[in-house]
Amino acid sequence: FTKAAILMADEEDEPGFEEELDDGSGGVDAAGHGRRKRLFSKELRCMMYGFGDDQNPYTESVDILEDLVIEFITEMTHKAMSIGRQGRVQVEDIVFLIRKDPRKFARVKDLLTMNEELKRARKAFDEANYGS
Amino acid sequence: MADPARIKTEDSLEKEGFTNEEHLKKDQTEHELVPETSAGDNKEPSTQDHPKDLKTETEAAAADDEEEGTSGQPSSKRLKVEPEKKKEKRHKVDEDEIQKMQVLVSSFSEEQLNRYEMYRRSAFPKAAIKRLIQSITGSSVSQNVVIAMSGIAKVFVGEIVEEALDVCEKWGDTPPLQPKHMREAVRRLKSRDQIPNTKHKNILFH
Repeated sequence: FTKAAILMADEEDEPGFEEELDDGSGGVDAAGHGRRKRLFSKELRCMMYGFGDDQNPYTESVDILEDLVIEFITEMTHKAMSIGRQGRVQVEDIVFLIRKDPRKFARVKDLLTMNEELKRARKAFDEANYGS
Repeated sequence: MADPARIKTEDSLEKEGFTNEEHLKKDQTEHELVPETSAGDNKEPSTQDHPKDLKTETEAAAADDEEEGTSGQPSSKRLKVEPEKKKEKRHKVDEDEIQKMQVLVSSFSEEQLNRYEMYRRSAFPKAAIKRLIQSITGSSVSQNVVIAMSGIAKVFVGEIVEEALDVCEKWGDTPPLQPKHMREAVRRLKSRDQIPNTKHKNILFH
């Protein structure tokens, strides 16, 4: 796996090579996930440090994590599409899927509650401004 | 080599439960209205801890009531007192937790403070997550979905990194984490069903 990561990194250094293969969307082709441009490199590095890794995590580890995260989100999305209202992803579906995992469930509940409170606070703040 | 920062922050925070994050956030980032920081702040665990405390509390309260009055009164008193006591108890435990958190954070070393700040502030970019989900569904998704998914993804990363650090320590290596640690962590989490996988079908009767 690491050899593949290094190989792919080498390919990215040669623009000519990439122009041939890249279909413009950064794409998903037979070469696999690594073909796509790295979406979360910076954020994942900060996250890994926050969760206990070194301040400079290895790039290969960050890549592995990114692939895992994208696969996770993809799986969750597909599952959410198949339950509840078909073809759509709704919050209730996500909450249902996550119900067995206590950490994730608690986290989602907290985030949604906080978001509601913030929205209410913002609305009240705006109304106060509008009134005066 | 275990990182004391990790042990102190992750384990103690996970076990004790977090304080009210709004409280901390108001102190630190009053101008930031968007919930960009994701921290582990769990109202759920604290309410889960409550039922145990509550049972003993309300039993004690019930016992007290029975001592005081006649048979008719205590039951209605108990009913009135219970929800108030629940709210009080929740408030008290929340405040306790907030205080504990403040004491803990105030005693952090600089490296620990850095790590804690990264822990709370790091988040996935909402735009990228939204684009990713929409590319899979083909239709638009609401903002709440993006918020929920980013939050869950962060917890997911945390679970893997923690497991990988355990593996790293067990194998006698030091951080930074190497791919072999990550892969072993994934293998372990898969065996615990914490990583969803719909690609492999279990055919029961072949």
